[in-house]
Amino acid sequence: MPGSGKADDRRLGFKASQEVVVVAISVVLFVVFSATLNNFLSQGNIIAILKNVSILGTLAVGMGFVVVGRGIDLTMVAVMVVGVAFSIWISTWGVDFTLAVVCGAILVALIGLFTGVMVAIAEVPPIFATLAIASSVYGSGRIVFASDVLYAPPNIAWLKFVGNGSVLGIPMSVVIFGAVAALMGLFLRKTRFGRLVYATGDNPNAARTTGLPTRPIIVTQYVISALIAFTAGIIMTGLVTGIDTRLYNSSLIYDVLLVVVLGGIGLSGGQGGVRNVIAGTILVGILTNGMTILNFSYTSQNLIKSVILLGALAIDAIINPRDEQTSQSGDI
Amino acid sequence: MKIFKNCLLAGLTALALLGAANATIAQETDQVGRAPYLESLKGKKVIFVPISQGMDLNQAWVMVWQRHAARYGFSLEVRDPNGDTNAGIRAMQGAIAEKPDLIIVQNPDVQTYARLLKQAQAAGIKVLQVNMQSATQTDSYVGNDWIEMGRLEMGELAKHCTGPKAVSHKVVWLAGVQTGAANIYMRTGIDEVLKANPELQLVSDQPADYISEKARQITETVLQQHPDLCGIMGIWDNAEVGAGAAVVAAGKQDQVTIVTNGAGAATGCESIKNGLLDVIFNFNAPIQGEIAAQQISELLQHPERKAGSEKTIFFGPITRVDKTNATGRNCWKPEDIK
Repeated sequence: MPGSGKADDRRLGFKASQEVVVVAISVVLFVVFSATLNNFLSQGNIIAILKNVSILGTLAVGMGFVVVGRGIDLTMVAVMVVGVAFSIWISTWGVDFTLAVVCGAILVALIGLFTGVMVAIAEVPPIFATLAIASSVYGSGRIVFASDVLYAPPNIAWLKFVGNGSVLGIPMSVVIFGAVAALMGLFLRKTRFGRLVYATGDNPNAARTTGLPTRPIIVTQYVISALIAFTAGIIMTGLVTGIDTRLYNSSLIYDVLLVVVLGGIGLSGGQGGVRNVIAGTILVGILTNGMTILNFSYTSQNLIKSVILLGALAIDAIINPRDEQTSQSGDI
Repeated sequence: MKIFKNCLLAGLTALALLGAANATIAQETDQVGRAPYLESLKGKKVIFVPISQGMDLNQAWVMVWQRHAARYGFSLEVRDPNGDTNAGIRAMQGAIAEKPDLIIVQNPDVQTYARLLKQAQAAGIKVLQVNMQSATQTDSYVGNDWIEMGRLEMGELAKHCTGPKAVSHKVVWLAGVQTGAANIYMRTGIDEVLKANPELQLVSDQPADYISEKARQITETVLQQHPDLCGIMGIWDNAEVGAGAAVVAAGKQDQVTIVTNGAGAATGCESIKNGLLDVIFNFNAPIQGEIAAQQISELLQHPERKAGSEKTIFFGPITRVDKTNATGRNCWKPEDIK
């Protein structure tokens, strides 16, 4: 930007402007839909928008956390469906469902640990490691569970509350998304560990040279993102009484990436935060809601979303230019 | 002496009778036509290329066919592409190259395998299509009359959503995959009913892609737009539970009628009992599987008939299931079929 001398300042100025661009698009869409679509501006519809993006948003918080540390976690959807399906599966043996959920969480944490070890210690590039692990996790689940759709046992009070309950008129799914986002925001901004994630993402080699425990940091990131994915799965099970493992084959994982990149978290790591994830989530929420009301076909909805992702990636490339340093250190 | 003579006579008569009976039994043992039937099925090779074996209907079919194959000595191999169309094409190509006696196929859409099915027929392989048809007609199709299914479902909504008592005339069609045979033909049936009932108003036709969370999201959004919605119809009970969840969350389960179809699995009946669904047009996958098993036998028994020389169609049964009859054979479990 003219007038700015330092490179860092320039990037900061641009970075803010990408988030601003996303928020501005959201505002424009919001105003246009409010003016042209009946009931768009109703309280019920606003809540519906938030409820419909709660799963996507929760997943995106986990993904954002990994991307900030210059990783990528393509296992999230596989871990979500298989973790929850595992819980439901063991509950059919007569295990108490709550205990089964705890077992599912442990399994998911172990998968996250394995992914983290593959990335941090075996040093497999995260995009390949997580792509392969996603496939094996889903594949194993597919062999064990036989059915694609697994229904949670009926009459689990807390699960019903997650699906249909509300706090001060806000649905529980939105409350959980808000809580996960708030915790992650505080964690990234206020804790030492959070700052170390930024340092690792910004320049892993420099971070390691200065003595930061980069490997444990990376492993922890994947464990946390797996647990967040599991939380999203529990929200979904509450909402629709079961889990559909075929979601792994859907475009959900790309939608999650779309939200993260759209919000302005650079894929080269070290930048952005939860606020960006929320900006991206809300834009996708408004867009999907409007397109559904307008009765656009599924294909054209995907097309529009893809064009936006492509645009966001292009903007990202301009705003966070690749330099010699980033391209040498295993940029995804 | 006389007694002895009589006894001897009686004994001899008994023996003679027994011998005669034995001879008759020996003749009856060879059930007419059984030997050639066994001969024609034994050692034959059948390959099934499904959309995905994770679905309840597929599990029911394969259980039935495996039992049939084990009893009559033909082999049944399942090449599961697990919902991936490219993997499905490779599975089909592989199957054709192996020249089995019969390929069974469940088409992901009407176009993808259309040319491959022609190739298979040209190579002399008989093809049985199940439930999801291709644009290419082959030796046999066993499955739903999808136009009738569309007519039944929208007809059900027409019953609730027309006339002075109806809450409104607004209905929703939650489609599956738009290029799938079920989708295309159901739409024809739906349009017929809509034409006959002009007051019905189709306010949304979005595909939920057979995913319950997608169905839930669409329904939640549509309910905000049309709070007086009268009915929703869908394409698979396991997806429409999501629509049901959105309706229940809005507290409108008495207002909105949800109609869908399904394989007749117990999970569907549970969804009716839980109030997530109102009516399932049940196409009873195990019975479909039995009809297809008869077709397997028929096609394998006549190797002299050229592949594609005769084209037959068998529509399976459709039962309307609501909370009054969501029991017994309308709610099968996998373990019931074994």
